[in-house]
Amino acid sequence: MADDAIRAYAAARRFGAATLERWLGLTPAARAALLALAERCRLGENQFRDVLDDLVDIAVRRDADPSAVLEDPAIAALWRRGLGRNQAIKALKDVLRGLRHPQRTAIEARLAALARSLRLPAGAQLTWPPGLEGEQLTLTLRAGSVAELRAQAAAVAAVAGDAAVDEMFALLEGRW
Amino acid sequence: MTPFAPEAVWIERGEVGTPLAQAVIARLGADAVRLFDPPDGPRPVGVRAGKRVLVLRRHGGAFLRQCPAGTAGLVCCSYLTLNLASNCPMDCAYCFLQDYLADAPALTAYTNVGEALAEVAAVLDAHPARPFRIGTGEIADSLALDPLTALSRQLVPFFAARPNATLELKTKTECVDELLALEPNGRVVVSWSLNAAAVIRRDEPGTATLAERLGAARRVAEAGYRIGAHFDPLVEFDGWERGYAEAVDALAAAVDRRHIAWVSLGSLRLTPALAQAVRRRETPAGVLAAELVAGPDGKARVWRGLRLRMYRALVTRLRAAFGDVPLYLCMEPAPVWRQVMDEVPSDRALGLRLAAGASW
Repeated sequence: MADDAIRAYAAARRFGAATLERWLGLTPAARAALLALAERCRLGENQFRDVLDDLVDIAVRRDADPSAVLEDPAIAALWRRGLGRNQAIKALKDVLRGLRHPQRTAIEARLAALARSLRLPAGAQLTWPPGLEGEQLTLTLRAGSVAELRAQAAAVAAVAGDAAVDEMFALLEGRW
Repeated sequence: MTPFAPEAVWIERGEVGTPLAQAVIARLGADAVRLFDPPDGPRPVGVRAGKRVLVLRRHGGAFLRQCPAGTAGLVCCSYLTLNLASNCPMDCAYCFLQDYLADAPALTAYTNVGEALAEVAAVLDAHPARPFRIGTGEIADSLALDPLTALSRQLVPFFAARPNATLELKTKTECVDELLALEPNGRVVVSWSLNAAAVIRRDEPGTATLAERLGAARRVAEAGYRIGAHFDPLVEFDGWERGYAEAVDALAAAVDRRHIAWVSLGSLRLTPALAQAVRRRETPAGVLAAELVAGPDGKARVWRGLRLRMYRALVTRLRAAFGDVPLYLCMEPAPVWRQVMDEVPSDRALGLRLAAGASW
């Protein structure tokens, strides 16, 4: 019965045959859990495929079934937040990304905390490479006047020697 | 490991008399062989089906090529590949052949080896002062078919007589028996793709175990060959530090450092198409669990900081075990080299260094 419901859902959303085949190739528990998730979030094919990729990868990482991943407390907490569809899908992807890349997510969180600790002035922003694929920090200054630019530069210079900056570079260079 | 036994052997009719075909017939018997006339022949569907049928035929194009790892933006070791076979009887979960050979999956050994060696000779003779490193393990395992084809009997004497070339035979097997009776004359490096034992068990089905590979390495080292080691792909998994440390220690216990020609390190890398091929496998591949992100060349690798940690851990362990044996990174850009190796060699300098490390 569950497989009939899966086929019906896939047909209604015009899923490709390859996506449906992957879905039906999961364990019965995973098939059913994915169906419940797809119906709850009304996932389109691309969204479904992204979620499926992450779930399978996390399951491999945990040596568990994808259905068990969907029982993770972080995901269960999502459904208690009363989010709308688009917000729920975005939040789900964020949670899955954290579960899929736990070390990178933790480093990014630490980088964000360190950047905040510098208390850079308004208009100054410190960013790091997407996916942490690189060792460079980028400092952006947005100033509307010479005075503002000078004030930003002075503030940045004052914190350049902060240990937080050293730690940020160390994290990007894999030294932690 | 279980020796490779093809379900069927097909030989191009006009190639039956070649040394390669005769070697296969001598081992399997004429009854085991079927003949075909091009363009007819076996048409296995899918890379895994292709692994079970052995095809012997002429190769019509060039045999010698620049290693495809020499991508712009990456430090390159100036390596040449000699493609004498295509596909592999083993079934590594991360293998790029799953995508690369999707349209031509038949496990094929080329019969016109003499023409291939003539092509190599022309290049070597045209640049007598330049040292070349040439490998046969790019789109095939160098030794997996050797018990059937005895190809090494043609390759080793050829390179043994060449002062400006080193042949690298790269493998995940223990198929070294043919090599033991040959004289490499310091011109042949037998290399093993090595990994943490857990990765081998999980993601390299059909290959020799780590212990079997290192046992084979010890035997060929004692027979006069230099040894290469490729920790590639490094796979991030829970316990990678210990797993790779144990693999380095096992290599050090098996092979004296004086026999080591070079050691390379390379991170797991998946193109989007290969990642999809890996996802289609019947058993979920452990490599999918790694924390991968796409790089500028489109290939997903473990993200930079974690990758640097892995490289540094391996380099530290390797330096302690093997001293100044040449180490290099495969398919990494200059910033990664600088972070891990404290240098960024030119492609030419790296090639020369490795060639020097190969000679006695």
